[in-house]
Amino acid sequence: MRNLNKPVFIEWVMWFFAIQVFFVLGFILVYIFCNGLPVFSWRFFISAPSHGMTDGGILPAIIGTTWVTFFTVIFALPVGISCAIYFNEYAKDHLMTRIVRAAIKNLAGVPSIVFGLFGLAIFVVSISLGTSTLSAGLTLGLLTLPYTIVSTEEALRMVPKGQREAAYSLGATQWEVIKNIVLPQAIPEIATGVILTISRAAGETAPLLFTGATFYITGSIGYPMDEFMALPYHLYVLSTQHQYLEDVRPIAFATAATLLLFVLILNLVAIWIRHSYRK
Amino acid sequence: MSKYLYHWLGIFGCLVNFCLYSCNTERQSLIIKGSDTEVNLTVLLAEAYHKSVPSVRISVSGGGTGVGIAAISKGLADIANASREMTESEHKRLQYIGIEVDKYIFAYDAIAIIVNEKLPIDELSVDDLRLIFSGEVTRWNAFADIDKRIKIYGRQSNSGTYDFFRDNLNIIFTKTARELNGNAQIIESVRNDLTGIGYVGLGYVIKNGKPSVPGVKILKIAEEGYRAVSPLELTSYEDLTYRFKRPLYQYVRRDAHNRAKGFLDFIQSGEGKNIILANGYFPHRS
Amino acid sequence: MRSRKAKDIICRVFIVVSAVFSASILVGILGLLVSNAARFIALEPLDDFLFGTVWRPSENQTETHYGVLPLVVSSLLVTIGSMAIAIPLGIMTAIYLAGYAPKRLRWKLKAAIELLAALPSVVVGFLGIVLVSPILTNILPIHTGLNALNGSILLSIMALPTIITLSEDALHSIPQSIREAAFAVGAKKWDTLFKIVLPAAYPGILSAIMLGMGRAVGETMTVLMATGNASAFPHGFLDSVRTITATIAIEMGEVPHGTKHYYSLYSLALILFIMTFSVNLFAEHISSKIKKFR
Repeated sequence: MRNLNKPVFIEWVMWFFAIQVFFVLGFILVYIFCNGLPVFSWRFFISAPSHGMTDGGILPAIIGTTWVTFFTVIFALPVGISCAIYFNEYAKDHLMTRIVRAAIKNLAGVPSIVFGLFGLAIFVVSISLGTSTLSAGLTLGLLTLPYTIVSTEEALRMVPKGQREAAYSLGATQWEVIKNIVLPQAIPEIATGVILTISRAAGETAPLLFTGATFYITGSIGYPMDEFMALPYHLYVLSTQHQYLEDVRPIAFATAATLLLFVLILNLVAIWIRHSYRK
Repeated sequence: MSKYLYHWLGIFGCLVNFCLYSCNTERQSLIIKGSDTEVNLTVLLAEAYHKSVPSVRISVSGGGTGVGIAAISKGLADIANASREMTESEHKRLQYIGIEVDKYIFAYDAIAIIVNEKLPIDELSVDDLRLIFSGEVTRWNAFADIDKRIKIYGRQSNSGTYDFFRDNLNIIFTKTARELNGNAQIIESVRNDLTGIGYVGLGYVIKNGKPSVPGVKILKIAEEGYRAVSPLELTSYEDLTYRFKRPLYQYVRRDAHNRAKGFLDFIQSGEGKNIILANGYFPHRS
Repeated sequence: MRSRKAKDIICRVFIVVSAVFSASILVGILGLLVSNAARFIALEPLDDFLFGTVWRPSENQTETHYGVLPLVVSSLLVTIGSMAIAIPLGIMTAIYLAGYAPKRLRWKLKAAIELLAALPSVVVGFLGIVLVSPILTNILPIHTGLNALNGSILLSIMALPTIITLSEDALHSIPQSIREAAFAVGAKKWDTLFKIVLPAAYPGILSAIMLGMGRAVGETMTVLMATGNASAFPHGFLDSVRTITATIAIEMGEVPHGTKHYYSLYSLALILFIMTFSVNLFAEHISSKIKKFR
């Protein structure tokens, strides 16, 4: 009698295809790090580009990305968490809520360049913030909002209903229940969501194109109302528009490696948090 | 809750103050956008200027001459780097919006015609170029001992370099010409394509007076009745033997003049001129 | 007592305002696109726009063309190319993950997929320039490696995680009881999979594919860097193409406000929005059908 569960040839084929995922990811990481890591140095991270960006470091890009991400989180976090709280705790299930839910879910599918146009029209032009870190941060805030909402909602949903009901029966107001019972337990998941938001915002380029990213700006400290350099945009410029493409290739690799490292660490932390709290 | 509330309010208050402060003071930075041909040179000049005047923040971007002029009209730039003059309609638009600009000559530039270094051709005549870029002749065997289709790598229609080259030769570009985003892309393409030919700003292919990109060859161009001359032989802008040279402009918003003055003066100073020369461009003699 | 109630009300107001605000963003985006696109349609005959085969806007009145067909075809070309790679690979991996993978491998594979999804699009585009392009020029008799094929390969990397995760969810949502019933009547594992589980999960997998497609169509930086950006009508995968997203990204910088060209880019954005929105809507509609299994 043949063992029904012994691996068949087809299963080896499937295993092979599935392993491709590891292979592709690993190859990309190894390739970028092998070419980029040698350029890393203390100087690379704390000095500005020099000699027409063929030398020096990427400090302004790191600072720019940090500022933009900061504004993104400041904007998306309160609004996103509030929205998730609304959906999970307050909203009744009628047509209006379903429409609003659908609207937010579809927002996630809007291409990032469309967000860039929206940010240009609203923040840069209408509100006259001009091309600046603030405009870009707000635009990215809009882009990452749906994800913040969805991940917070999931976090809130994990808190058992019984706890809420127990609190209500003791006379707590709705907000008190949320603040003291639900939120504290949801914090790890929400933190994961925030970390992933940061990772996403740091890697986006299209929304930055019209809202303030620039090839080069003198000085390293970013100002909220100034144009800024950003890691992903810097990579784009170095690989497509620089005068001496060959000379800056190593720096481009190092920029890619920096960005990858940042994103990688954030995601691994998020995965780890989720893993340890979801027992 | 309350002990953290005050902390958060405090931080929030500081942030709001910081933002309002930055919003209220007029934007101190100088924003320069525009020509791809001028952008790297502008970055080098800005870098050098920043060393002597660290308080000024200069933001430099490329994208093409069209981007720079459009940015000025949208109020998003103070200086537009332009490798061609503004058209009638662009002038009219600025007038209509009420923005006044002053034109300055930034530097002078030569356009190099490049081919792959393995192509067995070292020079072409101006008429040859006309035939090639208009699409009348499509194979290399008309000019050399190699029978392959000519692949043209050019710029897009928003490029001042595109306009200049087309008007200088007085032709219409063939539709099969590739339209690339910038000088760097043209160089990359020609490097990798034996049959390619392209036109780029001289500064992109030379450094300190010598060809700097392995894999591409700068052609000598022969004017009618004269011997073929390479742009490398140009010692000054006034030299008449090579025809593909042009002034590069900067259009400066009049209301940004105060902020821009220091940098503009620096470009015309001795140090500025040295930087310009070292990078394959010709400084403006005022 | 009163301050507790007051706090409750204040928070309630803030939260409701946030929700309304979030919902209105989509409306705002749509409104912006439609109002600007309408201004363009007023200036340009609709069938020239939708069916014209040349996209070459210029100041010159006689030479100017606003045909979107080459752009739409380019976008579809790279998307379909990427799906050709990502669908088989993705579904196979999802099947493996849902049914065959040992527990320890499953967790690691899922983490790897998440990391793959987190790759920034510029980095993938960069790989297209430095890695894929030279490989293509070496293997194939072409001169430039920046073409639709390059774009398809890169986009498949980006769409793969979406397809895998959602397909695996779909397969997982098929109750174990159905599988057990099949085993009980003597079906082998492989048969169960192909004849019972997959057909049942079909709506979910279709939805996953649609969402993957939506992701690929909307991608900007990757195609901007790797597809060559020639706005001529593409004739094949080895041609340089310019997608809708890349066109918007390239040309938005150089258009002054209020010109026909400016409005035309918003019309492009509207077309893009409609494409991704309808794909997402369709995917959701399908996936709501499988909820009946839960």
